[in-house]
Amino acid sequence: MGEQVGVEGSQPVDLSKHPSGIVPTLQNIVSTVNLDCKLDLKTIALQARNAEYNPKRFAAVIMRIREPKTTALIFASGKMVCTGAKSEQQSKLAARKYARIIQKLGFPAKFKDFKIQNIVGSCDVKFPIRLEGLAYSHGAFSSYEPELFPGLIYRMKQPKIVLLIFVSGKIVLTGAKVRDDTYMAFENIYPVLTEFRKVQQWPAIFLASFGCLLGFGWLTSVAKLDWFLLIGHWAA
Amino acid sequence: MSRSNSCFKCKSKSLVRDDITGHLVCESCGVLQEFDGFEANYSGFNGPQGTFVRIGTSGPKCDNVKTMVADITEGEFGQGFWFTVLVGACAYIIMRRDNQPLPIAEVSSVIGCEVHVLGRMVFRVVEFLDLKQSHFPEIDIVSLFERALRNSPSFDGVGEDKKERMRKQGIFLIQCEVKWFLTTGRRPQPLVAAMLVFVAELNQVDVRVENVAKELHAVLHTTKLRYKELLDALVKVAQALPWGKDVTRKNIVKNAPFVIQYMEKKAMSEPSENRKDLERFDLEDVVSELLRKDIGYGMDVEDDSRYFEVEDESMFTSQIDDVEKLKLSPECLSMIYTKFSNEVVHPKSLHTRKNKDFDLYGCTEWWNGKSELSKKLLLKRILEKDVGLEAMPLSFVNGCRAYERRREKIEAAKQRIDRIMRPPNGESGDGGNIPISEDLQPTKKRKGRQTEGVDWEDLIIEMLILHQVKDEEIEKGYYNTLLDLHVFNSGMF
Repeated sequence: MGEQVGVEGSQPVDLSKHPSGIVPTLQNIVSTVNLDCKLDLKTIALQARNAEYNPKRFAAVIMRIREPKTTALIFASGKMVCTGAKSEQQSKLAARKYARIIQKLGFPAKFKDFKIQNIVGSCDVKFPIRLEGLAYSHGAFSSYEPELFPGLIYRMKQPKIVLLIFVSGKIVLTGAKVRDDTYMAFENIYPVLTEFRKVQQWPAIFLASFGCLLGFGWLTSVAKLDWFLLIGHWAA
Repeated sequence: MSRSNSCFKCKSKSLVRDDITGHLVCESCGVLQEFDGFEANYSGFNGPQGTFVRIGTSGPKCDNVKTMVADITEGEFGQGFWFTVLVGACAYIIMRRDNQPLPIAEVSSVIGCEVHVLGRMVFRVVEFLDLKQSHFPEIDIVSLFERALRNSPSFDGVGEDKKERMRKQGIFLIQCEVKWFLTTGRRPQPLVAAMLVFVAELNQVDVRVENVAKELHAVLHTTKLRYKELLDALVKVAQALPWGKDVTRKNIVKNAPFVIQYMEKKAMSEPSENRKDLERFDLEDVVSELLRKDIGYGMDVEDDSRYFEVEDESMFTSQIDDVEKLKLSPECLSMIYTKFSNEVVHPKSLHTRKNKDFDLYGCTEWWNGKSELSKKLLLKRILEKDVGLEAMPLSFVNGCRAYERRREKIEAAKQRIDRIMRPPNGESGDGGNIPISEDLQPTKKRKGRQTEGVDWEDLIIEMLILHQVKDEEIEKGYYNTLLDLHVFNSGMF
């Protein structure tokens, strides 16, 4: 079975693009689009089967479709946020489907300024990581506060991506606008992580290859991944 | 003055402050609430009034807190409800800067806000003041342990000598836990509480885990879990002992003195020396040798020959210097061992309190506290030490198991598909019923999780294999993502 190659199915890993041999899996794409017309949310909520609207809790209609399996937040201003897609194309297709639904409900909806706002990916390096050591050596970029969050929050400067690194070797990458940034961030961090796997050599590692690449930054606020709020603000 | 907190008895939100005593009282049921840190007119009639965070010191540190608060608020201190959170955050940062960390849970309980709210404020302050690593070091679990042991009311009656012994043992074991990944990514307070309970048991101090957890603002369930993890790790170390396979989580506390002594001795040898010596050094032989001396001490150990069977007795002569190096006391060892072996013979006695008559721990020789690990060490040094066990993080081990399980399921799914696609020849006459019976029967038992047949996960894996998804992708277990990308992907080009 495994040797069959078809049009569908996963592609072999391109080692020139992914020297680590690991490709982060995209788990969520958040995109926004402007429908460019004022919307009566109550009408939408009453007419659409797949919509929920509770203005006391949240000032947007929450609508879901099954294929691509996504959720949209539709605001009265005509702006819409689409979440849950697994690829950029799926996200755009889903956004178009939502726009079509709004049109069918009698609103003159357009499809303006579609933009991918955030890409979340995850992967597993398959070795444990000594978070204390990483936090110590990369203090300028890392925040490791086990009292508040079990993972280490690594704020990479170039590309500007936030990585959540867990002791189990599982990594979450967020904040990218294009998938290549996610891939590049992982390829940047992978050699660093290998230095902090279980038996680790201590460290002039940091000064060597990576520090100069990233520039300097400082510990900023904890892992409130506030894309959602940011988008809410944009849409209002 | 009313507060947003609710009454612990009737849950009413109508709490009022008694003007005379300053205590919080519920207006509905009249119950006096727990002391919340509020003090009316502190230091004299005209003194300040409010919530005070006690950081255990006075003078320059208090001034530092005040200066920091004044700097950040540009002199607007005292306006708005978030100021208590800010005061708590500044107190937390100052103490951590001076390597005397306050647990954030303790600060948050004093100021009456949620831990993450306080955490966000801490990060804002750190960002605002642009504090570097030297001014805001990582949380130090050893210091938290020392502080808890010093301040916990459960240990008030314990003598200074015993406390010092407990402190060193606790530091030793906590640093072992650091090495074993038991602290990485875990909240420190439950770990500290679990360690306090363990060293208390070790030193025959009567404490209850519930009380210690409450005093340290640790979640009880997590504390118990961390305690079990510590015991499990020690059981693994104990496997190096001749009677190691009889040591379980239930009797590890009784065996702990010897296990810790073993760990101590290993930690005291330098890594290079350690490796060299261990080739010659066989603990089993050493213990056997020592136990043979029991005859001289009047111990009846005839029935326990399996614990000290030695294949080549001639080796003893060459290992005398190893025994000397270990400095194991035959008396101590034989007492511990006889006690343990008696319990193995009469397992019921494990659960009886009368065992305390025999002072297992009266033999204090087992702990000398001379290992470097009994003092606070840098992570680098801790990792260099050999304490008889190299452990992986539990989450990592579980992840590996999950991969293995998925790999088996993928193989099974491939075989099932293969059988359907290439059925056995008709001549055999029995080929037709195999795939049907394999696939249909188990669906009837879907509710039982431990069925031998296929479950939802197998069906998803089959579906993904049929859509030519690579095994390595399926192994990761991101089924929803893979289904969305490769199966339910109509309309995509």
